[in-house]
Amino acid sequence: MLKDITFGQYFESNSFVHKLDPRSKLLLLILIIVSIFVAQNAFALSVVAIFIILSVFLSKIPIKMYLKNIKAILPIIIFTMIINLFYNASGTILISFWKLTITTGSIYRALYMSARILLLIISSAELTYTTTPNELTDAIEKLLAPLRFVGLKNAVHTLAMMMTIALRFIPTLIEETQKIMNAQKARGADLENGKLIERIKALVPILIPLLISSVRRAYELAEAMECRCYNGGEGRVRMKQLKYSISDYISFVVVLVVMAVVILINIFL
Amino acid sequence: MSILEVKNLTHTYDGNTPFMHDAVKNVSFSIEKGEVVGIIGHTGSGKSTLVQHLNGLLKASAGDVLLDGVNIWDNPKNIRSIRSRVGLVFQYPEYQLFEDSVYKDIAFGPKNMGLSEDEISARIKEICELVGIKQEYLEKSPFDLSGGEKRRVAIAGVMAMKPEIIIFDEPVAGLDPKGRNDVIKMISDYSKKYGSTVLIISHNMEDMALIADKLLVMNKGELALFDTTENVFKQYEFLKSIGLNVPIVTQVMLILKEMGVNLPDNIFTVDRAVEHLLNISNGGNCDA
Repeated sequence: MLKDITFGQYFESNSFVHKLDPRSKLLLLILIIVSIFVAQNAFALSVVAIFIILSVFLSKIPIKMYLKNIKAILPIIIFTMIINLFYNASGTILISFWKLTITTGSIYRALYMSARILLLIISSAELTYTTTPNELTDAIEKLLAPLRFVGLKNAVHTLAMMMTIALRFIPTLIEETQKIMNAQKARGADLENGKLIERIKALVPILIPLLISSVRRAYELAEAMECRCYNGGEGRVRMKQLKYSISDYISFVVVLVVMAVVILINIFL
Repeated sequence: MSILEVKNLTHTYDGNTPFMHDAVKNVSFSIEKGEVVGIIGHTGSGKSTLVQHLNGLLKASAGDVLLDGVNIWDNPKNIRSIRSRVGLVFQYPEYQLFEDSVYKDIAFGPKNMGLSEDEISARIKEICELVGIKQEYLEKSPFDLSGGEKRRVAIAGVMAMKPEIIIFDEPVAGLDPKGRNDVIKMISDYSKKYGSTVLIISHNMEDMALIADKLLVMNKGELALFDTTENVFKQYEFLKSIGLNVPIVTQVMLILKEMGVNLPDNIFTVDRAVEHLLNISNGGNCDA
């Protein structure tokens, strides 16, 4: 169950997407997400969908990795579908019972909303698969750098460092949780059965050790950083300088074209 | 009949992904009641994965685990009762403590078995006496104890379930010499008192020489050797070739032997070494 969550897991490969500058990947993702939300009908959304599917193939990441990610959020997708199924009264009525009605409009709406969530997950998963957490935070730090002109001198670096650390520790925490779960299961803890209240209570033996070890880990990390003379962003230089290349510019053009097409479809359809 | 039998066990991690690999490959062995078996192997040789199959935390990709002749997965709903019969103490078990008193923490396992309050308190008293946790400690918070004490409380938490087989994954890792001795003593006291079978994963060959009857050697997911401690430690060259070693005292004795001192090659503990060396030196001095 826990190992199905693959967020924050870099997948080594040598594809076009991997080689893009992390800053452009981040900005492109934002543009794509905006396009997903701007798209007002199925045609516009399918343009975005086609682009995302193409980029998934370009990333050379096995489709199975994406499917795993989707599996983890399947309950949310199903929930959204069910809610939307009853929430739209347009179109012809297909089934109607008690106060609930399912119409052609609501089916369309349910599919449209879940497609949106799917596209969001796939595109953001692609970013984390193709970009190491370090690259990602470098990109955020660079992109937010102008904030230092408005008095947030250290904030940007601190924020980036906090994000690096948080991302770095996601897999560690997952592993730790799995270990503690196994240890408590070995002591006869029942995590799978029982009523809701019992199952929530069963989480206590897992959450407390997890919290304690996270605090301990945080102290250890802080000490290790201080031992290596870390004192914030002042005067730090990078080993790898970020640089835009021709493929970055091409990607921006393509994504902007996709956006333009989406907006045009919105207006004319 | 053997109390524990493992037949052709294979475990594949991350099946159907690029990370797929066999952590345990076609391992078979059987263990008799009351035996103390050490499991040794290089890091990543599949020791921890192997033992998690024995109480049903992991399900094998292929092969069976028989407890008292019965497949532990015969009735999947009963797997929790298997876990109270086969206790597993993980590495650094003190990180699993969570209750606000030592008493409650040790009671967690027995409570999950559905025992009565009286039975639980009797067991806790019994186990605490056995492992040397003082009565006044029972009301303390486990987080106020020292590292070695926490370790003992965590181990007592599994022992209080009175498992017939108890498995330890690196029980003495990270402890000071006194803590190590305490834990080793706890384990052998428990196994003597209840006649239970013990499996210990360890990198410390000295500890193994002291308490293990038999050694199970894992190498790259495969069972390399399974024999008495003496027979395994005699295969010095082989152990070395798979990144393991024999106790330091044995290494010293082997060097002495090579230098021409008349010593057998089955000295694995300091006590025996002392005995043999005294013999030789007494004999030698008298003759000269």
